[in-house]
Amino acid sequence: MKRQTKYNLETFILLLPFLIIFMIFGIFPIGYSFFMSFTDYSGINPHYNFVGLSNYIRAFQDEVFLIALKNTFIFVIGTIPFTTTFSLLLALLINSKHLPFKGLFKAGFFLPSVISMVVISTIWIYLYSANGFFNNMMKLFGMHALDTSWLASTKTALISIMIMDIWAAIGYYTILFLAGLQGIPGEVYEAASIDGASKKQTFFNITLPLLKPTLFFIISLNTIRSFQIFAEIFTMTGGGPSNSTQTVVHYLYQTSFRQFEMGYASAIAYILMAIIMVFTIIQKRLLRSDI
Amino acid sequence: MKRFLFLILMFTLLIMSLFPLITMFYTAIIPEGNLTHVIKEKYLNDFEIKYIRYIKRKVKTYDGAKISISKDSPETKQSLKIDLEPDKTQRIALLTNDLDLRMMKNLSFFIKSDIKDFNIIFYDVDENQTKIEINNDSDKWHKISISYKLLKNREVDLKHITKIVFSFTPTKETSVFLDDFKIEYKYPTLLNFINVWKENNFAIYIFNSLIVAIIVVIGNIIFSTMVAYGFARREFFGKNVLFMIVLATMMIPPQTTIIPIFIIMKNLGWIDTYYALTIPFLVTPFGIFLLKQYIEQLPIELEQAAYVDGANTFQILFKIIFPLSKPAIAVMAINTFITSWNMLFYPLVMTTSKEMRTVQVGLALFQKFNQVDWPTLMAASSIIGIPVIIAFLIFQKHIISGITQGAVKG
Repeated sequence: MKRQTKYNLETFILLLPFLIIFMIFGIFPIGYSFFMSFTDYSGINPHYNFVGLSNYIRAFQDEVFLIALKNTFIFVIGTIPFTTTFSLLLALLINSKHLPFKGLFKAGFFLPSVISMVVISTIWIYLYSANGFFNNMMKLFGMHALDTSWLASTKTALISIMIMDIWAAIGYYTILFLAGLQGIPGEVYEAASIDGASKKQTFFNITLPLLKPTLFFIISLNTIRSFQIFAEIFTMTGGGPSNSTQTVVHYLYQTSFRQFEMGYASAIAYILMAIIMVFTIIQKRLLRSDI
Repeated sequence: MKRFLFLILMFTLLIMSLFPLITMFYTAIIPEGNLTHVIKEKYLNDFEIKYIRYIKRKVKTYDGAKISISKDSPETKQSLKIDLEPDKTQRIALLTNDLDLRMMKNLSFFIKSDIKDFNIIFYDVDENQTKIEINNDSDKWHKISISYKLLKNREVDLKHITKIVFSFTPTKETSVFLDDFKIEYKYPTLLNFINVWKENNFAIYIFNSLIVAIIVVIGNIIFSTMVAYGFARREFFGKNVLFMIVLATMMIPPQTTIIPIFIIMKNLGWIDTYYALTIPFLVTPFGIFLLKQYIEQLPIELEQAAYVDGANTFQILFKIIFPLSKPAIAVMAINTFITSWNMLFYPLVMTTSKEMRTVQVGLALFQKFNQVDWPTLMAASSIIGIPVIIAFLIFQKHIISGITQGAVKG
């Protein structure tokens, strides 16, 4: 009996640091922000009132929030197909048995992914600037270059950030695709080649179906990350010009830590969480149904 | 042939993909300008303006010296003519409007004069001055260069030069001709890095980020391994449920929890301290997850043998599990370091003073005010990118395996 107590005590000590931190900073905040989303808590003034669902109702009447939501959807839907396609193609190229220096290419393409979004955004601000690389390239090829930075115009700002993001994300997902591709046993391909399958057939009938779990995982991971886009917006545009690059998380940051409406910001956070969950479930249904 | 073309294609793609980083490093070492327009030399004044009154805005005269435009010039069309009276010191000043001379290699100009010796005095914004004596050995047009070596370590602040004064003391009535004041910059230069490091708090930001990252990594090595060992090897009530909850919280967007965490930190009085920046990350689901997978596949016989020999749980943990888990701990540590180093949203919210900012917050706020001075900005970006790039080049395999493991099993 005593031994059992000692065993349990030891287990408890093993878990204790984690339990404390996880409870305070992991579990408690989830409930607390849900609670706050029904109040008008400011973050500065300790007094607050219950306002029922009005934060949620307000969100869907708030013009800026709706713009932010629209921009976030444009961002997610506009980047993911490209990121996924490009990184899959790149992974297939790197995985090709005719390619020497595989390690070099793997590392080289992955390198941008370890660098922070702030640094990457700063570089791209420079590339997009009024007399930056892209404007100069357009002039060189006789195209109509912008007089200002690409990020300063409501027409081009969001798409510029999207282009950057596609570039920045490709390396990361390429590595994941490569891991998936290397998980496909070689015998399958041998069998296919003995049966006389063409390269196209092999890809569509063997590689792609076997890659489906990886594909699903990558798309849902990318969706979750894209919905949370913040660093790019904060660094490059601050949501401007005139909210054309405002996104949900950036707006959440502004309402909570700039305008100090933390109750309202919590409601936004929960709306975002709901959207992400719905998306993940839909993707799960769509992509996993026929495995 | 086909293979060769394929290889060329791949290299092209690789260079395209690395192009922004190459741009960053390249711009960080140029003295002024941008990628497509590197300024290696700059004219302070070439006196090619048509009217003397425009020149008079940039050139002031003292003690009776008179200036006018002359059509006599060594390389261009016009030069500056200075008429001097005998037997008294007369000066002309070239106003330079807060010129930064730290990156210069040479300051050069053309002169035609029969005065043998004259002085050039540099003034900074605080009216400090330093004098350079010039020995003029020719009365034809010739070029005089003042090198950076001659100017450095003097009383004057080379970052803010406001005027360059010529002081002549002729013995007879004479004229001096001056033309083409030009700065040749050092190129490539590392000075942008030094400036960013010294003048813009980046040393503080890097120090903060290093402290935070090191504490978080050590915390994870100890605590995540402890918990992972608990989950992998021990039985307790609600183990599977707890593990499911840990995995589920990984799916919750961090923005949902950041507001309550901010309020908790505020109530604890931890805002703007290392506590706020480190404690919530001392043990992370990622670390637990990675190590649990690893510890589970270690042979249990060793632990059993140690137990039979009378070792207690913590001895087993620290003497057996830790050494055996080194590969997984390395993967976890390096990935945790990079995550911590690259974090923006969380430290942005939790810090209020410059002294506590981490690198990402520092850069994000710094760049908003420095969007013209590209070399400085790119040097700042490089300083922040370089530690991660170095870590990547050394621990490449660990980083990639951490990402694929964390991802595939998640």
